[in-house]
Amino acid sequence: MLSEKVKVSFILNGSPVEVEVPSHHTLLEVLRERLNLTGTKEGCGKGECGACTVLMNGEPVCSCMLMITQVEGAEILTIEGLGDLENPHPIQRAFMENGAIQCGFCTPGFIMTAYALLMKNPNPDRKQIKEALSGNICRCTGYMKIEEAVMNAAREVK
Amino acid sequence: MIQAVVKRVKSIPEAFEKASGHSGPLYYLAGGTDLVCKAKDRLLPPALWLDISGIEELTGIKDEGDSIHIGSLVTHTALSEHPLIKKYAPALSDAASQVGSPQIRNRGTIGGNSGNASPAGDCVTALYTLDTTIHLECPAGPRSLPLEKFFTGPGKTVCKEKEIITGFSFPKKEGARGCFLKLGQRKTLAISKVSLALSCTLEVGRLHDVKIALGAVAPTVIHAPRCEEMLAGKELNDSLIAESGTLIQTESCPIDDLRSTEGYRCKMTGVLMERALKKVALWK
Ligand SMILES: Cc1cc2nc3c(=O)[nH]c(=O)nc-3n(C[C@H](O)[C@H](O)[C@H](O)COP(=O)(O)OP(=O)(O)OC[C@H]3O[C@@H](n4cnc5c(N)ncnc54)[C@H](O)[C@@H]3O)c2cc1C
Ligand code: FES
Ligand code: FES
Repeated sequence: MLSEKVKVSFILNGSPVEVEVPSHHTLLEVLRERLNLTGTKEGCGKGECGACTVLMNGEPVCSCMLMITQVEGAEILTIEGLGDLENPHPIQRAFMENGAIQCGFCTPGFIMTAYALLMKNPNPDRKQIKEALSGNICRCTGYMKIEEAVMNAAREVK
Repeated sequence: MIQAVVKRVKSIPEAFEKASGHSGPLYYLAGGTDLVCKAKDRLLPPALWLDISGIEELTGIKDEGDSIHIGSLVTHTALSEHPLIKKYAPALSDAASQVGSPQIRNRGTIGGNSGNASPAGDCVTALYTLDTTIHLECPAGPRSLPLEKFFTGPGKTVCKEKEIITGFSFPKKEGARGCFLKLGQRKTLAISKVSLALSCTLEVGRLHDVKIALGAVAPTVIHAPRCEEMLAGKELNDSLIAESGTLIQTESCPIDDLRSTEGYRCKMTGVLMERALKKVALWK
Protein backbone atom coordinates (compact mmCIF):
# COMPACT_ATOMS: atom_id res chain seq x y z
CA MET A 1 0.00 0.00 0.00
CA LEU A 2 2.73 2.42 0.96
CA SER A 3 4.39 2.82 -2.41
CA GLU A 4 1.39 3.80 -4.48
CA LYS A 5 2.41 6.19 -7.24
CA VAL A 6 0.68 9.35 -8.40
CA LYS A 7 0.99 11.47 -11.51
CA VAL A 8 1.26 15.16 -10.76
CA SER A 9 1.48 18.01 -13.28
CA PHE A 10 2.63 21.48 -12.40
CA ILE A 11 4.61 24.43 -13.73
CA LEU A 12 8.21 24.33 -12.59
CA ASN A 13 10.36 27.40 -13.21
CA GLY A 14 8.13 28.41 -16.09
CA SER A 15 7.86 25.04 -17.86
CA PRO A 16 5.16 22.39 -17.49
CA VAL A 17 6.35 19.14 -15.90
CA GLU A 18 4.69 15.84 -15.11
CA VAL A 19 6.13 13.46 -12.53
CA GLU A 20 5.08 9.99 -11.49
CA VAL A 21 6.30 9.44 -7.95
CA PRO A 22 5.29 7.68 -4.71
CA SER A 23 2.34 9.61 -3.28
CA HIS A 24 4.00 10.02 0.11
CA HIS A 25 6.83 12.13 -1.32
CA THR A 26 7.21 15.79 -0.49
CA LEU A 27 7.89 18.40 -3.14
CA LEU A 28 11.39 18.74 -1.67
CA GLU A 29 12.13 15.05 -2.25
CA VAL A 30 10.81 15.24 -5.80
CA LEU A 31 12.86 18.34 -6.61
CA ARG A 32 16.10 16.98 -5.23
CA GLU A 33 15.86 13.27 -5.94
CA ARG A 34 13.77 13.06 -9.13
CA LEU A 35 14.40 16.29 -10.90
CA ASN A 36 18.00 16.80 -9.76
CA LEU A 37 17.28 20.34 -8.66
CA THR A 38 19.50 20.33 -5.59
CA GLY A 39 19.57 24.10 -5.07
CA THR A 40 16.68 23.76 -2.63
CA LYS A 41 18.08 22.49 0.68
CA GLU A 42 16.73 20.34 3.48
CA GLY A 43 17.56 21.61 6.96
CA CYS A 44 15.11 20.68 9.70
CA GLY A 45 12.54 18.97 7.48
CA LYS A 46 9.77 20.33 9.72
CA GLY A 47 8.95 23.87 8.71
CA GLU A 48 11.26 25.59 11.16
CA CYS A 49 14.34 26.73 9.22
CA GLY A 50 13.17 27.86 5.78
CA ALA A 51 16.14 26.27 3.94
CA CYS A 52 13.67 24.44 1.69
CA THR A 53 11.68 27.55 0.75
CA VAL A 54 10.28 27.66 -2.78
CA LEU A 55 7.53 29.85 -4.19
CA MET A 56 4.13 28.31 -4.80
CA ASN A 57 1.93 30.61 -6.86
CA GLY A 58 4.21 33.45 -5.83
CA GLU A 59 4.14 32.78 -2.07
CA PRO A 60 7.03 31.35 -0.03
CA VAL A 61 6.27 27.89 1.34
CA CYS A 62 8.31 25.11 2.95
CA SER A 63 8.76 22.41 0.32
CA CYS A 64 9.66 19.92 3.08
CA MET A 65 6.06 20.05 4.33
CA LEU A 66 4.31 20.11 1.00
CA MET A 67 3.08 16.72 -0.21
CA ILE A 68 3.54 16.29 -3.93
CA THR A 69 -0.23 15.84 -4.49
CA GLN A 70 -0.76 19.37 -3.19
CA VAL A 71 1.33 20.80 -5.99
CA GLU A 72 -1.06 19.66 -8.76
CA GLY A 73 -1.66 22.59 -11.12
CA ALA A 74 0.49 25.01 -9.13
CA GLU A 75 3.29 27.28 -10.26
CA ILE A 76 6.52 26.44 -8.47
CA LEU A 77 9.62 28.60 -8.59
CA THR A 78 12.94 27.34 -7.21
CA ILE A 79 16.33 29.00 -6.95
CA GLU A 80 17.27 27.40 -10.29
CA GLY A 81 14.46 29.40 -11.91
CA LEU A 82 15.84 32.72 -10.71
CA GLY A 83 19.31 32.73 -12.22
CA ASP A 84 22.55 30.79 -12.61
CA LEU A 85 26.29 31.35 -12.38
CA GLU A 86 26.45 33.10 -15.76
CA ASN A 87 23.31 35.13 -15.24
CA PRO A 88 22.63 35.59 -11.56
CA HIS A 89 19.48 37.41 -10.50
CA PRO A 90 20.12 40.83 -8.90
CA ILE A 91 19.17 39.35 -5.51
CA GLN A 92 21.68 36.54 -5.95
CA ARG A 93 24.34 39.07 -6.93
CA ALA A 94 23.51 41.28 -3.96
CA PHE A 95 23.93 38.31 -1.59
CA MET A 96 27.37 37.61 -3.02
CA GLU A 97 28.47 41.24 -3.07
CA ASN A 98 27.30 41.98 0.46
CA GLY A 99 28.90 38.96 2.09
CA ALA A 100 25.45 37.62 2.95
CA ILE A 101 26.67 34.09 2.25
CA GLN A 102 29.03 32.08 4.41
CA CYS A 103 28.39 28.34 4.30
CA GLY A 104 25.55 29.02 1.85
CA PHE A 105 23.16 26.37 3.10
CA CYS A 106 20.42 28.83 4.02
CA THR A 107 21.00 31.07 0.99
CA PRO A 108 18.57 29.64 -1.59
CA GLY A 109 15.76 29.78 0.98
CA PHE A 110 16.55 33.38 1.92
CA ILE A 111 16.78 34.43 -1.72
CA MET A 112 13.42 32.88 -2.60
CA THR A 113 11.77 34.56 0.39
CA ALA A 114 13.40 37.88 -0.49
CA TYR A 115 12.29 37.52 -4.10
CA ALA A 116 8.66 37.01 -3.01
CA LEU A 117 8.92 40.10 -0.81
CA LEU A 118 10.34 42.31 -3.56
CA MET A 119 7.71 41.16 -6.05
CA LYS A 120 5.01 42.37 -3.66
CA ASN A 121 6.78 45.30 -2.12
CA PRO A 122 9.63 46.80 -4.16
CA ASN A 123 10.41 49.35 -1.42
CA PRO A 124 10.58 47.42 1.85
CA ASP A 125 11.97 49.03 4.97
CA ARG A 126 14.21 47.13 7.36
CA LYS A 127 11.31 46.10 9.58
CA GLN A 128 9.39 44.66 6.64
CA ILE A 129 12.48 42.79 5.48
CA LYS A 130 12.99 41.32 8.96
CA GLU A 131 9.35 40.27 9.15
CA ALA A 132 9.41 38.69 5.66
CA LEU A 133 12.61 36.77 6.44
CA SER A 134 11.52 35.69 9.93
CA GLY A 135 10.85 32.10 8.80
CA ASN A 136 14.41 31.63 7.54
CA ILE A 137 17.26 30.74 9.86
CA CYS A 138 20.95 31.40 9.24
CA ARG A 139 23.57 29.99 11.58
CA CYS A 140 26.50 31.89 10.06
CA THR A 141 25.94 35.48 9.02
CA GLY A 142 24.10 37.09 11.91
CA TYR A 143 21.41 38.43 9.52
CA MET A 144 22.70 42.03 9.19
CA LYS A 145 24.40 41.35 5.87
CA ILE A 146 21.39 39.46 4.59
CA GLU A 147 19.16 42.43 5.36
CA GLU A 148 21.62 44.75 3.66
CA ALA A 149 21.74 42.51 0.60
CA VAL A 150 17.97 42.67 0.31
CA MET A 151 17.99 46.46 0.73
CA ASN A 152 20.60 46.76 -2.03
CA ALA A 153 18.82 44.27 -4.28
CA ALA A 154 15.62 46.29 -3.88
CA ARG A 155 17.42 49.33 -5.27
CA GLU A 156 18.64 47.33 -8.25
CA VAL A 157 15.44 45.45 -9.01
CA LYS A 158 13.51 48.73 -9.27
CA MET B 1 9.79 8.55 5.70
CA ILE B 2 6.14 9.42 5.68
CA GLN B 3 4.00 6.29 5.90
CA ALA B 4 0.96 7.16 3.87
CA VAL B 5 -0.84 6.80 0.62
CA VAL B 6 -1.95 10.27 -0.39
CA LYS B 7 -4.92 10.81 -2.70
CA ARG B 8 -6.06 14.16 -3.95
CA VAL B 9 -9.81 14.75 -3.98
CA LYS B 10 -11.66 17.60 -5.68
CA SER B 11 -14.97 17.62 -3.83
CA ILE B 12 -16.55 16.57 -0.55
CA PRO B 13 -18.55 13.73 -2.19
CA GLU B 14 -15.36 12.43 -3.77
CA ALA B 15 -13.65 12.55 -0.36
CA PHE B 16 -16.48 10.52 1.21
CA GLU B 17 -16.45 8.05 -1.67
CA LYS B 18 -12.72 7.41 -1.23
CA ALA B 19 -13.07 7.34 2.56
CA SER B 20 -15.92 4.84 2.59
CA GLY B 21 -14.02 2.38 0.44
CA HIS B 22 -11.19 2.37 2.99
CA SER B 23 -10.77 0.63 6.31
CA GLY B 24 -7.99 1.64 8.65
CA PRO B 25 -6.59 4.98 9.71
CA LEU B 26 -7.55 7.99 7.60
CA TYR B 27 -6.48 11.62 7.80
CA TYR B 28 -7.54 14.65 5.85
CA LEU B 29 -4.62 16.72 4.57
CA ALA B 30 -5.23 20.48 4.42
CA GLY B 31 -2.06 22.63 4.69
CA GLY B 32 -0.10 19.71 6.12
CA THR B 33 1.88 21.84 8.57
CA ASP B 34 0.77 19.67 11.50
CA LEU B 35 0.12 16.36 9.77
CA VAL B 36 3.44 16.17 7.90
CA CYS B 37 5.32 17.13 11.06
CA LYS B 38 3.59 14.41 13.06
CA ALA B 39 4.19 11.82 10.35
CA LYS B 40 7.89 12.69 10.21
CA ASP B 41 8.06 12.38 14.01
CA ARG B 42 6.50 8.90 13.62
CA LEU B 43 3.50 9.87 15.71
CA LEU B 44 0.99 8.53 13.18
CA PRO B 45 0.17 5.01 12.04
CA PRO B 46 0.49 4.20 8.33
CA ALA B 47 -2.65 5.68 6.86
CA LEU B 48 -4.63 6.91 3.89
CA TRP B 49 -4.37 10.69 3.58
CA LEU B 50 -7.06 12.41 1.56
CA ASP B 51 -5.61 15.64 0.22
CA ILE B 52 -8.52 18.08 0.48
CA SER B 53 -6.39 21.17 -0.25
CA GLY B 54 -7.93 21.54 -3.72
CA ILE B 55 -11.61 21.46 -2.69
CA GLU B 56 -12.97 24.78 -3.93
CA GLU B 57 -16.06 24.86 -1.68
CA LEU B 58 -13.91 24.83 1.47
CA THR B 59 -12.21 28.10 0.54
CA GLY B 60 -13.14 31.74 0.92
CA ILE B 61 -14.36 34.28 3.45
CA LYS B 62 -17.96 35.42 2.92
CA ASP B 63 -20.22 38.11 4.31
CA GLU B 64 -23.55 36.36 4.94
CA GLY B 65 -25.46 39.39 6.17
CA ASP B 66 -25.63 38.85 9.92
CA SER B 67 -22.55 36.69 10.06
CA ILE B 68 -19.16 36.02 8.51
CA HIS B 69 -18.37 32.57 7.11
CA ILE B 70 -14.80 31.27 6.87
CA GLY B 71 -14.07 28.16 4.79
CA SER B 72 -11.92 25.59 6.58
CA LEU B 73 -9.12 25.90 3.99
CA VAL B 74 -8.62 29.62 4.56
CA THR B 75 -4.95 30.17 5.40
CA HIS B 76 -3.50 32.21 8.26
CA THR B 77 -2.12 34.67 5.69
CA ALA B 78 -5.59 35.23 4.23
CA LEU B 79 -7.13 35.63 7.71
CA SER B 80 -4.54 38.18 8.73
CA GLU B 81 -5.06 40.30 5.59
CA HIS B 82 -8.78 40.04 4.85
CA PRO B 83 -10.73 43.30 5.41
CA LEU B 84 -13.84 41.51 6.77
CA ILE B 85 -11.77 39.69 9.39
CA LYS B 86 -9.88 42.84 10.33
CA LYS B 87 -13.16 44.69 10.76
CA TYR B 88 -15.34 42.11 12.50
CA ALA B 89 -12.76 39.84 14.12
CA PRO B 90 -9.62 41.84 14.91
CA ALA B 91 -8.58 39.26 17.52
CA LEU B 92 -8.59 36.57 14.81
CA SER B 93 -6.59 38.54 12.25
CA ASP B 94 -4.16 39.43 15.04
CA ALA B 95 -3.81 35.76 16.04
CA ALA B 96 -3.39 34.54 12.46
CA SER B 97 -0.66 37.11 11.83
CA GLN B 98 1.36 35.64 14.71
CA VAL B 99 1.23 31.96 13.74
CA GLY B 100 4.58 30.32 12.99
CA SER B 101 6.34 32.12 10.15
CA PRO B 102 5.34 33.56 6.77
CA GLN B 103 5.90 30.16 5.14
CA ILE B 104 3.73 28.39 7.73
CA ARG B 105 1.01 31.04 7.48
CA ASN B 106 0.90 30.63 3.70
CA ARG B 107 -0.03 26.95 4.06
CA GLY B 108 -1.53 26.41 7.53
CA THR B 109 -5.31 26.62 7.61
CA ILE B 110 -7.94 27.53 10.17
CA GLY B 111 -9.53 24.07 9.71
CA GLY B 112 -6.20 22.42 10.46
CA ASN B 113 -5.67 24.61 13.52
CA SER B 114 -8.97 23.23 14.85
CA GLY B 115 -8.45 19.67 13.61
CA ASN B 116 -5.13 19.63 15.42
CA ALA B 117 -6.98 20.58 18.64
CA SER B 118 -3.92 21.90 20.42
CA PRO B 119 -4.80 23.92 23.53
CA ALA B 120 -2.16 26.35 22.22
CA GLY B 121 -3.83 26.81 18.80
CA ASP B 122 -3.67 30.54 18.18
CA CYS B 123 -6.63 30.88 15.82
CA VAL B 124 -8.78 28.59 17.94
CA THR B 125 -8.09 30.82 20.95
CA ALA B 126 -9.24 33.86 18.99
CA LEU B 127 -12.31 32.03 17.61
CA TYR B 128 -13.43 31.35 21.21
CA THR B 129 -14.02 35.08 21.65
CA LEU B 130 -16.33 35.38 18.63
CA ASP B 131 -19.30 33.10 19.50
CA THR B 132 -18.09 30.85 16.73
CA THR B 133 -20.07 28.00 15.22
CA ILE B 134 -18.10 25.19 13.60
CA HIS B 135 -19.61 23.46 10.57
CA LEU B 136 -18.95 19.79 9.93
CA GLU B 137 -20.03 17.29 7.32
CA CYS B 138 -19.92 13.51 7.31
CA PRO B 139 -21.40 11.03 4.82
CA ALA B 140 -24.66 11.07 6.84
CA GLY B 141 -25.02 14.85 6.45
CA PRO B 142 -23.90 18.21 7.81
CA ARG B 143 -24.09 19.49 11.40
CA SER B 144 -23.08 22.66 13.24
CA LEU B 145 -22.14 23.20 16.87
CA PRO B 146 -20.69 25.86 19.14
CA LEU B 147 -16.90 25.73 18.80
CA GLU B 148 -16.53 25.19 22.56
CA LYS B 149 -18.39 21.86 22.22
CA PHE B 150 -16.00 20.64 19.53
CA PHE B 151 -12.90 20.20 21.69
CA THR B 152 -12.69 17.59 24.44
CA GLY B 153 -8.98 17.55 25.30
CA PRO B 154 -5.48 17.97 23.90
CA GLY B 155 -5.66 16.63 20.33
CA LYS B 156 -9.22 15.42 20.96
CA THR B 157 -12.45 16.54 19.33
CA VAL B 158 -15.97 15.24 18.77
CA CYS B 159 -15.18 14.87 15.05
CA LYS B 160 -16.60 11.57 13.86
CA GLU B 161 -14.64 9.25 11.66
CA LYS B 162 -14.57 10.62 8.10
CA GLU B 163 -16.13 13.92 9.20
CA ILE B 164 -14.79 17.03 7.46
CA ILE B 165 -14.62 20.47 9.02
CA THR B 166 -16.23 22.61 6.34
CA GLY B 167 -16.02 26.04 7.97
CA PHE B 168 -16.73 28.48 10.76
CA SER B 169 -19.15 31.33 11.21
CA PHE B 170 -19.56 34.08 13.74
CA PRO B 171 -22.08 36.92 14.20
CA LYS B 172 -21.07 40.39 12.99
CA LYS B 173 -20.77 43.11 15.62
CA GLU B 174 -20.34 46.73 14.59
CA GLY B 175 -17.43 48.49 16.26
CA ALA B 176 -15.68 45.25 17.17
CA ARG B 177 -12.36 45.65 18.96
CA GLY B 178 -9.97 42.99 20.06
CA CYS B 179 -6.52 41.58 20.06
CA PHE B 180 -4.48 38.44 20.55
CA LEU B 181 -1.33 38.28 22.66
CA LYS B 182 1.00 35.37 23.16
CA LEU B 183 4.20 34.58 24.95
CA GLY B 184 6.62 32.06 23.53
CA GLN B 185 10.31 31.26 23.52
CA ARG B 186 10.82 33.84 20.79
CA LYS B 187 8.72 35.94 18.43
CA THR B 188 8.57 33.68 15.40
CA LEU B 189 8.23 29.92 15.20
CA ALA B 190 7.39 29.33 18.82
CA ILE B 191 4.36 27.54 20.19
CA SER B 192 2.52 29.67 22.76
CA LYS B 193 3.35 29.14 26.44
CA VAL B 194 0.37 31.21 27.29
CA SER B 195 -1.92 33.26 25.07
CA LEU B 196 -4.94 35.47 25.46
CA ALA B 197 -7.58 36.65 23.03
CA LEU B 198 -9.99 39.48 23.78
CA SER B 199 -12.98 40.63 21.75
CA CYS B 200 -15.36 43.39 22.82
CA THR B 201 -17.11 46.58 21.83
CA LEU B 202 -16.72 49.93 23.54
CA GLU B 203 -19.61 52.38 23.82
CA VAL B 204 -19.08 55.76 25.43
CA GLY B 205 -16.10 54.42 27.31
CA ARG B 206 -17.87 51.28 28.56
CA LEU B 207 -17.02 47.71 27.66
CA HIS B 208 -19.67 45.44 26.12
CA ASP B 209 -19.77 41.97 24.55
CA VAL B 210 -16.59 41.07 26.43
CA LYS B 211 -15.20 37.65 25.51
CA ILE B 212 -11.86 36.44 26.77
CA ALA B 213 -10.10 33.17 25.94
CA LEU B 214 -6.89 31.68 27.25
CA GLY B 215 -4.66 29.32 25.27
CA ALA B 216 -2.06 26.82 26.49
CA VAL B 217 -3.14 26.94 30.13
CA ALA B 218 -5.57 23.99 30.22
CA PRO B 219 -6.29 20.79 28.24
CA THR B 220 -8.34 22.86 25.78
CA VAL B 221 -8.62 26.58 25.11
CA ILE B 222 -10.82 28.02 27.89
CA HIS B 223 -12.94 31.10 28.56
CA ALA B 224 -12.35 33.45 31.46
CA PRO B 225 -15.99 33.78 32.59
CA ARG B 226 -15.37 35.68 35.85
CA CYS B 227 -13.41 38.36 34.04
CA GLU B 228 -15.90 38.51 31.18
CA GLU B 229 -18.71 39.10 33.68
CA MET B 230 -16.77 41.53 35.85
CA LEU B 231 -15.82 43.71 32.86
CA ALA B 232 -19.24 43.81 31.18
CA GLY B 233 -20.73 47.30 31.13
CA LYS B 234 -17.84 48.82 33.10
CA GLU B 235 -15.95 51.98 32.31
CA LEU B 236 -12.54 51.10 30.91
CA ASN B 237 -9.98 52.77 33.18
CA ASP B 238 -6.71 51.98 34.94
CA SER B 239 -8.21 50.56 38.09
CA LEU B 240 -10.49 48.24 36.12
CA ILE B 241 -7.51 47.05 34.09
CA ALA B 242 -5.55 46.26 37.28
CA GLU B 243 -8.53 44.47 38.82
CA SER B 244 -8.94 42.27 35.72
CA GLY B 245 -5.26 41.35 35.80
CA THR B 246 -5.67 39.96 39.31
CA LEU B 247 -9.03 38.29 38.75
CA ILE B 248 -8.00 36.39 35.62
CA GLN B 249 -5.34 34.54 37.58
CA THR B 250 -8.13 32.74 39.44
CA GLU B 251 -9.73 31.45 36.24
CA SER B 252 -7.20 29.13 34.72
CA CYS B 253 -5.91 25.78 35.80
CA PRO B 254 -2.50 26.01 34.15
CA ILE B 255 -0.40 23.02 33.32
CA ASP B 256 3.29 22.29 33.88
CA ASP B 257 4.89 21.04 30.70
CA LEU B 258 8.14 21.20 28.78
CA ARG B 259 7.46 24.72 27.60
CA SER B 260 6.68 26.34 30.94
CA THR B 261 5.52 26.04 34.55
CA GLU B 262 2.14 26.49 36.15
CA GLY B 263 3.21 29.47 38.26
CA TYR B 264 4.65 31.39 35.33
CA ARG B 265 1.61 30.75 33.16
CA CYS B 266 -0.77 31.89 35.88
CA LYS B 267 1.04 35.19 36.48
CA MET B 268 1.34 35.83 32.76
CA THR B 269 -2.40 35.53 32.18
CA GLY B 270 -2.66 38.61 34.40
CA VAL B 271 0.00 40.48 32.44
CA LEU B 272 -1.61 39.63 29.10
CA MET B 273 -5.08 40.61 30.35
CA GLU B 274 -3.84 44.06 31.32
CA ARG B 275 -1.95 44.52 28.05
CA ALA B 276 -4.98 43.46 26.03
CA LEU B 277 -7.29 45.96 27.72
CA LYS B 278 -4.71 48.72 27.26
CA LYS B 279 -4.57 47.91 23.54
CA VAL B 280 -8.35 48.10 23.31
CA ALA B 281 -8.36 51.41 25.20
CA LEU B 282 -5.89 52.92 22.72
CA TRP B 283 -7.81 51.58 19.68
CA LYS B 284 -7.38 53.56 16.47
C1 LIG C 1 7.19 25.47 12.32
C2 LIG C 1 5.75 25.48 12.77
C3 LIG C 1 5.28 26.55 13.55
C4 LIG C 1 3.95 26.57 13.99
N1 LIG C 1 3.53 27.64 14.72
C5 LIG C 1 2.25 27.69 15.15
C6 LIG C 1 1.79 28.81 15.92
O1 LIG C 1 2.53 29.75 16.20
N2 LIG C 1 0.50 28.80 16.33
C7 LIG C 1 -0.37 27.77 16.03
O2 LIG C 1 -1.52 27.83 16.43
N3 LIG C 1 0.05 26.71 15.31
C8 LIG C 1 1.33 26.65 14.87
N4 LIG C 1 1.76 25.57 14.13
C9 LIG C 1 0.83 24.47 13.88
C10 LIG C 1 0.08 24.50 12.52
O3 LIG C 1 0.78 25.23 11.57
C11 LIG C 1 -1.32 25.09 12.64
O4 LIG C 1 -2.05 24.40 13.60
C12 LIG C 1 -2.08 25.06 11.29
O5 LIG C 1 -3.20 25.88 11.39
C13 LIG C 1 -2.50 23.67 10.89
O6 LIG C 1 -3.21 23.77 9.68
P1 LIG C 1 -2.92 22.79 8.45
O7 LIG C 1 -3.89 23.13 7.39
O8 LIG C 1 -1.50 22.82 8.08
O9 LIG C 1 -3.29 21.39 9.12
P2 LIG C 1 -2.97 19.90 8.65
O10 LIG C 1 -1.61 19.54 9.06
O11 LIG C 1 -3.35 19.69 7.24
O12 LIG C 1 -4.04 19.15 9.58
C14 LIG C 1 -3.96 19.17 10.99
C15 LIG C 1 -4.97 18.15 11.56
O13 LIG C 1 -6.30 18.58 11.31
C16 LIG C 1 -6.97 17.65 10.47
N5 LIG C 1 -7.71 18.47 9.49
C17 LIG C 1 -7.22 19.50 8.76
N6 LIG C 1 -8.19 20.06 8.03
C18 LIG C 1 -9.32 19.36 8.29
C19 LIG C 1 -10.68 19.45 7.82
N7 LIG C 1 -11.07 20.40 6.97
N8 LIG C 1 -11.58 18.55 8.29
C20 LIG C 1 -11.20 17.59 9.18
N9 LIG C 1 -9.94 17.47 9.65
C21 LIG C 1 -9.02 18.33 9.22
C22 LIG C 1 -5.90 16.80 9.84
O14 LIG C 1 -6.36 15.52 9.53
C23 LIG C 1 -4.85 16.78 10.93
O15 LIG C 1 -5.17 15.83 11.90
C24 LIG C 1 3.08 25.51 13.66
C25 LIG C 1 3.54 24.46 12.87
C26 LIG C 1 4.86 24.43 12.43
C27 LIG C 1 5.34 23.30 11.58
S1 FES D 1 13.84 22.04 5.79
FE1 FES D 1 11.91 22.82 5.43
S2 FES D 1 11.78 24.36 6.91
FE2 FES D 1 13.62 23.39 7.46
S1 FES E 1 25.31 31.11 5.52
FE1 FES E 1 25.52 29.35 6.73
S2 FES E 1 23.51 29.08 7.51
FE2 FES E 1 23.38 30.96 6.54
